[in-house]
Amino acid sequence: MTAPGALDRDKLFAARLHAARARPYLSTALFALHTVVSRQVPTMAVDRHWRCYVSPGFVDRTPVEELAGVWVHEVSHLLRDHHGRSDRVAGERGLDGPGERLRMNIAADCEINDDVFGEGLVRPEGAVGPAVLGLPEGELMEDYLRQFRLGPRTQSMSWLDCGSGADGLERPWELGADGADGLSEQERDAVRFRVAQGITARPGNAPKGWRRWAEEAFHAPQPWRELLGAAVRSAASGPGAGEDYTYGRPARRSAGVPGVVLPSLRRRPPRVCVVIDTSGSVSDAELGSALLEVTAISRAVGGRRDLVTALPCDAAAPSVHSLCRAEGIPLVGGGGTDLRAGFARALRARPAPDIVVVLTDGQTPWPRTRPACRTVVGLFPRAGRARSWDEDDPDHVPDTPPAWARVVEIG
Amino acid sequence: MPEHATNLSAPTRLGVAEALLDLLRDSTTEPRTDTQLEALTLAVSADLPVLLWGEPGIGKTAALTQLATSLDLPLTTVIASVHEPSDFSGLPVVGDDPAEQGIPMAPPDWAVRLVRAGRGLLFLDELSTAPPAVQAALLRVVLERRIGALQLPPGVRIVAAANPPSSAADGWELSPPLANRFVHLQWAHDHDVVVRGLGGTWPHATLPRLAPEKLSEAVDFARRGVCGLLAARPGLVHRLPGGEARRGGAWPSPRSWEMALRLTAFATAAGSSRDVLSLLVRGTVGDGPGLELLAALDRMDLPDPELLLADPAHADLPQRGDLRQAVLDAVVAAVRNRPERSRWDAAWALLVRAVETGAPDLVVVPATTLAALRREDWDVPASIERLAGTVGLSRRADRSLARATRTARDTARAGR
Repeated sequence: MTAPGALDRDKLFAARLHAARARPYLSTALFALHTVVSRQVPTMAVDRHWRCYVSPGFVDRTPVEELAGVWVHEVSHLLRDHHGRSDRVAGERGLDGPGERLRMNIAADCEINDDVFGEGLVRPEGAVGPAVLGLPEGELMEDYLRQFRLGPRTQSMSWLDCGSGADGLERPWELGADGADGLSEQERDAVRFRVAQGITARPGNAPKGWRRWAEEAFHAPQPWRELLGAAVRSAASGPGAGEDYTYGRPARRSAGVPGVVLPSLRRRPPRVCVVIDTSGSVSDAELGSALLEVTAISRAVGGRRDLVTALPCDAAAPSVHSLCRAEGIPLVGGGGTDLRAGFARALRARPAPDIVVVLTDGQTPWPRTRPACRTVVGLFPRAGRARSWDEDDPDHVPDTPPAWARVVEIG
Repeated sequence: MPEHATNLSAPTRLGVAEALLDLLRDSTTEPRTDTQLEALTLAVSADLPVLLWGEPGIGKTAALTQLATSLDLPLTTVIASVHEPSDFSGLPVVGDDPAEQGIPMAPPDWAVRLVRAGRGLLFLDELSTAPPAVQAALLRVVLERRIGALQLPPGVRIVAAANPPSSAADGWELSPPLANRFVHLQWAHDHDVVVRGLGGTWPHATLPRLAPEKLSEAVDFARRGVCGLLAARPGLVHRLPGGEARRGGAWPSPRSWEMALRLTAFATAAGSSRDVLSLLVRGTVGDGPGLELLAALDRMDLPDPELLLADPAHADLPQRGDLRQAVLDAVVAAVRNRPERSRWDAAWALLVRAVETGAPDLVVVPATTLAALRREDWDVPASIERLAGTVGLSRRADRSLARATRTARDTARAGR
């Protein structure tokens, strides 16, 4: 059919069509790839400019259905921004050199291969998965990267080469940034956005890994510490919390305007009450880290330790503790939670708190009305939040945190 | 002797130090395209308040200095976090008869000098570390351009800078209303630029110039793009940021869409690249809506299906596969809307041309759809022979998909 050594275009493109039919939501990305014939690539590889290098020999000896799997695999590297993430990891952890980049390629392959095949796509021969390395499935490249070293197990993978699109290291056979037919950064983003949009529009068709990717593709998840910090800080510093104008002392600027009595802005440090859900569903480690965080933040906004109080709460809220003795707060409890008791107890304190911070997993009833202070909710994630089930009341759906609270997901 | 030495060497030592400093300062510049600086320049020319987000010490101030030089504007820097609200809203000054004459709110000296000069670049640094009351006072400066009783003249442009919440340990976040009034630009340092700069060669960006002959065309383009998108997607017009992560950033509202429209027109008139426009638009209405606008503008750049049908022999199809398929789909859709024999034939000719100039798998779906549009009395054009390979390709993919599905099922049944 084709001359020896020439690329069997029909086979290659039939495979792409197969891939696009099996994964319709990836078709924009598949078609956006620009194919380049290259005899120096071992199999198929991508660069960060969305060029796909194809070895004619590899196309010849691989069945169409496996080629389709390779297409999806390669485009996944680009969609998941493995080159950018590799560069970031290399910078953060100081990993560099060909060996480290090979490890990144392997880790990236593990992230892709555990959920990309099946349902009409055959796993290509020699595809690296986490199982080969004895690692759990469903993790991210960055996590896999911590868990293995190059060694006897990875010996067979040293030929593995998905190009700079997978690990960020430029290869000699790549056309580079100046070469023809590459996609600009904006074009790459546009394609990735289109694919993410297709997945979020019809989430039923895409596996979980892809749905997670689509949700996060353009909104990098922010670390909860910063978010919780920002929420507490803005609650503590908003007008009305701990500060007011007073005529009790003259303003600093009174000297400049003789004859006028200017009020001065006085600030007393805000009182923060941390309500801690000690029900059985929240682990001690989670509580400990969140409590430390809140204390550190309230100190940063000018709170003194004696103004930060902690209130362990399950179905009842027995007593308020001062955080002077943070080490000694008995986080007793267990069983069910009723945060309404916690709120009532926190607001009963005199002087009343300016801010109530609630640390909970959300499996609780919430107060019906908005309390008379700012509320920040630190929410521990629960995988089965939607499917929570109550023995006595199978139809029971736990309430979500109310709209008047600022909610930060922790974890 | 020691006394003598100190007396002599004190000036000389400093003199040597001065010489060393001179040597260190001695650097050249080279031209370089700088996307973020270009975006900043366009936003400032468009008279929109810009907010630069960036870690401390990565050259935001240096960029501002370069911008001020190139726009020939004097630069006034005000560190927002060390001021009180009254520095921006004005200090009350009591006159002779306050009940009769009122109490004027006196502006600070830098504002007076700015107004007197009539033009300048006002740089409000450290915005996110300013307390909320100061931010509220700044709102008026940025929006109404008023400082106390003074009105900033139109020749003054405003740029603010803030550290991202992750690096500003004691920072406050921006409230959504304040955030919505800015063009948010993420400022990052370019590794190569820094290394070359420390080596003695700093980049010299050539800044965009608006082409006078393109102005009305640019306005037309921007209006068509933005209005076309918003007509089709009403949900994009206004969307308050929901999650905690996106507070204090860009979000879509009629106000920010108007800014996006203006920026699109400016970028078009300046002939800027899509990367520059992308930074601007995403920094104005947010990532999602911004990318949708860019996609809409890309679609406007695609050839008109009617023109292609009118002259299939000289059709110029896009090289990129996904765009090419979008064009072919649009052509088939145009034929479906007004099915005529001649148009149907022209569409086949286009598909043949597509197969001959690019990847064949893109043509399969449009060809299948087009074949289904056939009326009984329409003869199949002879050129369709050349699409025979595509049919084979489609069958081959079908067979392969069936095999793969079977294999998957067998593996599942065998329990791996």
